[in-house]
Amino acid sequence: MKGYTGKILFVDLSTGRITDESIPDEVYENFLSGVGLGCYVLHKRIPEGANPLGPDNVLGFVSGLLTGTGSVMTGRWMAVAKSPLTGGWGDANCGGTFSPAIKRCGYDGIFFQGISNKPVYLYVDSHKAELRDATHVWGQDAVEAENTLEEECASAGKRPKIAVIGTSGEKQSLISGICNDRGRIAARSGLGAVMGSKRLKAVVLAGNHRTKCENPELMKAISKEFTSKVKKMNIPRFLSGRLLEPAGKLLSKMKSVAVPDGIMAAGILKKWGTGFNNVMGIVNGDTPIRNWNGSVLNFTKSRYRNLGPDLLEKREVKKYSCYSCVVGCGSVCRIDDITDGNFRETHRPEYETVSAFGSLLLNGDLDSILYINELLNRAGMDSISAGHAVAFAIECFENGILTNNDTDGLELAWGDAEAIIKLVKQMINREGIGNLLADGVRVASRKIGKGSEKYALHVGGQEPGLHDSRFDPMMGVHYCADPTPGKHTIGCFQYYNYVQLWNEVSWAPKVSMYPKDKEYLASRENATKSVAISCYKQVIDGVGGCLFAMTMGVHNWNPFRMLNAATNWNKTADEYLEIGMRIQTLRQLFNVREGIDPKGNKAHPRMSGNPPLSDGPLKGKTVPIRDMVAMYWEHMGWDSETGIPTEETVAKLGLADFS
Amino acid sequence: MKVKVYAPAFCSFDHLDDDNVMELPEGATLNDVFQRLKIPLPLRLFPIYTVNYEKAYLGTRLKDGDVVSFLTPLAGG
Repeated sequence: MKGYTGKILFVDLSTGRITDESIPDEVYENFLSGVGLGCYVLHKRIPEGANPLGPDNVLGFVSGLLTGTGSVMTGRWMAVAKSPLTGGWGDANCGGTFSPAIKRCGYDGIFFQGISNKPVYLYVDSHKAELRDATHVWGQDAVEAENTLEEECASAGKRPKIAVIGTSGEKQSLISGICNDRGRIAARSGLGAVMGSKRLKAVVLAGNHRTKCENPELMKAISKEFTSKVKKMNIPRFLSGRLLEPAGKLLSKMKSVAVPDGIMAAGILKKWGTGFNNVMGIVNGDTPIRNWNGSVLNFTKSRYRNLGPDLLEKREVKKYSCYSCVVGCGSVCRIDDITDGNFRETHRPEYETVSAFGSLLLNGDLDSILYINELLNRAGMDSISAGHAVAFAIECFENGILTNNDTDGLELAWGDAEAIIKLVKQMINREGIGNLLADGVRVASRKIGKGSEKYALHVGGQEPGLHDSRFDPMMGVHYCADPTPGKHTIGCFQYYNYVQLWNEVSWAPKVSMYPKDKEYLASRENATKSVAISCYKQVIDGVGGCLFAMTMGVHNWNPFRMLNAATNWNKTADEYLEIGMRIQTLRQLFNVREGIDPKGNKAHPRMSGNPPLSDGPLKGKTVPIRDMVAMYWEHMGWDSETGIPTEETVAKLGLADFS
Repeated sequence: MKVKVYAPAFCSFDHLDDDNVMELPEGATLNDVFQRLKIPLPLRLFPIYTVNYEKAYLGTRLKDGDVVSFLTPLAGG
């Protein structure tokens, strides 16, 4: 079969042994590649109860099944391991150029077990794989180390692709991630700490194998059709980002929801990237404010307008795309004037970062956010979790739980950009109170005690994405129900409506215009939608697909057609969704095996509107997240009381060997 | 003739069926669609719509099977 290599590379860092392993075709047919392959391998290779930061944990770098096949928008890779942050299944996703590099070395995934006795990096090309000494780059930030190793490993003018940890991963911060392409980051789940615990500084890839596609002509036609549509999607020059503010206000007043044509958003992504939502999200209620306990009345236009996408656009020096992307939502911003010359450029901060260090902290100083963005990218620290950790500290300080004695005199206050930067630096360096916060809010609140858990916004140990579950209740379902809790990239009503799965999947409920209030009900229809979108997302993460391509709708970007073109499997969309359900269930089985109680992955009360906000667009909104999660479990074929996959479901999905 | 319309939620959906399809007389223009959707005139002047993913104008004549789409920002990112 084509589309995948059928091989993984397995590296034992304790012994230095490196082996090629073949993966049978039926594994790909049942689990795809990417997160599915990762989960299949880790389930078999990680012994039950393994210490996430110990030698038994397995860290994988997996490419997508469609990566390199001539398909478009399929250049994402994933890191997978048992998470030290949640204690359960951990994964993190990133774009850039690293995903195709894995396949160019002839592998669908590269896995590490054991612990090296000194810092090392793995070098792989088309002919060899070897561990090399990394002592000289240990202690360097992610960008410095990538520059050093790129120079060192370049051959005949060809530069390798590199995944690397910064100092946060080395220091085993539980909110650290793995970087590539100079500070882009697979941030979630604390997998940088796993890499650091193994003393693995980097993975350097310089292969030149080509990935085969079963039906390249068909793939070319599919890609061409999508590309030609995207090319036409451009925002007229005179349309300013300032219009997004009234658009957001209009959205917040909508009493009904309609099905959009998602590809129309391509122009917005081209122009502003995810930053289009920086202000729009604040005014419509999507963006959490003041540690999820405030509204736009606490963060008014005199401050939020400083975070507008036009201001970021003015700093742009170049735009860029991930591998196989035809949209290009990334850009690089100049920051030499605001960082005392320490840094010349930074990736344009994503919406998540701007919100985590903007509205969440009542900080309207965009310059400070740009600076923090580069500090975190270089350290390899998750901005979503880090922003929540700072919010937690400020609220503890405000309520007398933390004092000047705890912070070595640092006065913490909402919106104090200077103090926020100082605290971020302490977290990166694991100094003072920063040492506590560098392991996320759950660990910090357990150590601080004194009722501080009231201000610790997390689900199952991981801080949630910056999308308010009181705005889109299904977001709250997946913050709690996904085996990697806290992720904002699994499902929500908006994703469901944009994707229009009902055009392909026989059992996915069809949507026409409906009252927004319906989204706040624990109904069977909503549960079925939640199941459909979460299983679909597993397919996307199995093929290396982009979330934003996904939201352009299956009528525009269709991974089922692309999978059949790449592999000739000729499966139906229903069959692919069953694969998605298998992957999702296997991730859940991993958690159950590791002693994670799905019932314990509870939303913080603020996330479900308990108590409800007293003003702003989300005034009075409450969400029955617990009931919605129970219905999701039931519709997944998991026990509605415990969240554990039932024997019937396990048998039906062919997962008996894993339970 | 039948035209698929991805209309924003603030529009009138009286002329759309459950599949967002609108019945129109032969020779209808995009402006006829906007009238049925009750889109205020000032908003029609913003070029935030396409027909078959191509730039379109109020006077663009429609044909059976056309797709009319509006710019709708995803509240997320």
